[in-house]
Amino acid sequence: MPAPKVTVAGMGCWCACGQTAPDCLEGALAGRAQFGLPAGRVDSTYAASYPVFMAPIPPHPQQQSVSLAFFLAAAHEAFSQAGLDPAALAGKRVGVIVGTSVDASFHCFDVYKHWRNHTYTAQDSQELAHYFASSTAQSVSRYFHFSGPFQTIVTACASGTDAVGLGKSWIDSGLCDAVLCGGTDEINLIPYDGFIRLLIASKDKCRPFSKNRNGINIGEGAAALLLVSDALSREFRLTPCGYVLGYGNACDGYHPTAPDPQAKGLQKAIAFALQEADLQAQDLAFVNAHGTASQANDAAEAVAFTHLLPGVPVWGSKGVTGHTLGAAGAIEAVLTLCALNRRIVPPTIGFEQEDETLGFAPTCRPMGLTRRAAISDSLAFGGCNAAVVLGAADYE
Amino acid sequence: MNEMYLNGFYGLEGDVSPEELAAFIPPQRLRRIEKLGKNVLYCACRACTQAGADIQTPKTWGLSVAADAGSLESTCKFMDTIIEDGDELSSPTAFASSVHNSTGLMLSMFLHLSGPCVTSGQFDFSFAAAWLSAAQFLRRGMCEQALVAVAEDVNPVAADQAPAQAEQFKPVLRTPQGPFARRAAAFVLSQRPTEHTLFCLRRFAFARTEKPIALSPQQTNLSGAQRLAACLKAKQPFAFTDAFADAYMQLEGTPYVN
Repeated sequence: MPAPKVTVAGMGCWCACGQTAPDCLEGALAGRAQFGLPAGRVDSTYAASYPVFMAPIPPHPQQQSVSLAFFLAAAHEAFSQAGLDPAALAGKRVGVIVGTSVDASFHCFDVYKHWRNHTYTAQDSQELAHYFASSTAQSVSRYFHFSGPFQTIVTACASGTDAVGLGKSWIDSGLCDAVLCGGTDEINLIPYDGFIRLLIASKDKCRPFSKNRNGINIGEGAAALLLVSDALSREFRLTPCGYVLGYGNACDGYHPTAPDPQAKGLQKAIAFALQEADLQAQDLAFVNAHGTASQANDAAEAVAFTHLLPGVPVWGSKGVTGHTLGAAGAIEAVLTLCALNRRIVPPTIGFEQEDETLGFAPTCRPMGLTRRAAISDSLAFGGCNAAVVLGAADYE
Repeated sequence: MNEMYLNGFYGLEGDVSPEELAAFIPPQRLRRIEKLGKNVLYCACRACTQAGADIQTPKTWGLSVAADAGSLESTCKFMDTIIEDGDELSSPTAFASSVHNSTGLMLSMFLHLSGPCVTSGQFDFSFAAAWLSAAQFLRRGMCEQALVAVAEDVNPVAADQAPAQAEQFKPVLRTPQGPFARRAAAFVLSQRPTEHTLFCLRRFAFARTEKPIALSPQQTNLSGAQRLAACLKAKQPFAFTDAFADAYMQLEGTPYVN
């Protein structure tokens, strides 16, 4: 059933290819990103051979996690773009919904190691208390003194897309006047070693949708979108920078770490998002693919795209952001809106060689566009799939 | 939020026995499932059965998982292998199981669910967030029924260290003095009443507040999901409040009569 579009009043992005949303799009167009070995960030023997996409870490107090610092940087940009002081929202129902993986995991490796080795100290105790106090969305809500619902979504790599989609739901159900949504993640030993041990990380720069693709590069960063109700938009005379038009989600129930090769869940998620947006494939300017550059992910996405989105240009942006896990869907939603507003689709950085089995080649050079809507999808460990349909600022 | 209906529920403190779970799922299929997963699977089977659903029949239900801090057993197992064997021999299986929504996958596979699925992980308020997502799935017409599954694991470091430093952990843990126990719960919700509906739910609120709500010490000894399951057992009209630190969840309901 079609659902009302929800206004994006502001957005921000902080990752390896830029530290503002427009800067990130420029990075995506130019193929510019901070990429290298994570020495000094991860204490792993793999740190000498498996590169990552790293974002500069914003200054932050010790008790604040890096993920939270990334998200707050993006959130401040979103409020700044909206021309809105967060304090002006006092008394409004403002929700916070953030996707993450590391920030909501027991990521305190040193604390755990010290405890196991009987070298646990008062400092470890303090770090453990910080960990329990640092529930991501609640911390963001606390930081801005908001008084609405808060939700930290941990649906692995689909978390960011779910946060944007459910944020829309909170607005169009009347639950909130505004929702600060998005995703954030940081480079951390656990997923870094984990993805390498699952044999899906690459020692090279990732090559989304290429025949010779051989795995992902972990990335980090955050993106935030400020969604507002029509009434709040009118009250504060906000200028839309885009719209969330539809959201879909469905699970595969197939395998812990591999997508369903038939992409049944992903197809269901895309179909639901399009139905809610009241759009069809031919209305879309492009699809911002999950495009991790793992063999299984790109092949499953190709099945869904050839069935449901034939002829729609496919853009993969992980060649400049890396796979930012819980932040990925939100970063890609912001890049999608920036591209729609600039009327240009960037090239798929890293793509080298067409894979005939996929049935398409992704964007190879910047392409002008006229259609005013696009779709962004995510797939996650555990078989979760999500998609959001987004509209440009001038979407009618 | 509009009215919703509750068609099944079950809460569990501690671990399910192999015999109890075998009534629903053959033990040989559970070899690789850790304790947390078995507990929540058992609760989900009980709640689904009460809601009149056959476990083996494919369902387009939604699934909203409250993962608390994730699977700590697997996370710690993965860290153990790094510490003991080094990065290059760390366990990929433990890593895959440590991902928050591995619980969602396990439930969707065993219960044959293919609707929307989201996992929430924010300690004490994972349950409230999961409930909210299930309500949103139902309201949007993404599914006709939704399962809210709650999986609460024990952090071994906190269980060992927090009781001796209760004052330090009091602002961030409900029961720093203990008891620390694995807990699980499951609730089946629908947008419209079914022939198995038990309660009509009329008011749900979940928010952060600058004015914290205090609960009695008896109320704080159990998690929100456990207290709600206990409250539902009474089959009486209820007004439920869960609160900790600067957040709260409220829910009202009355027994449903067909």
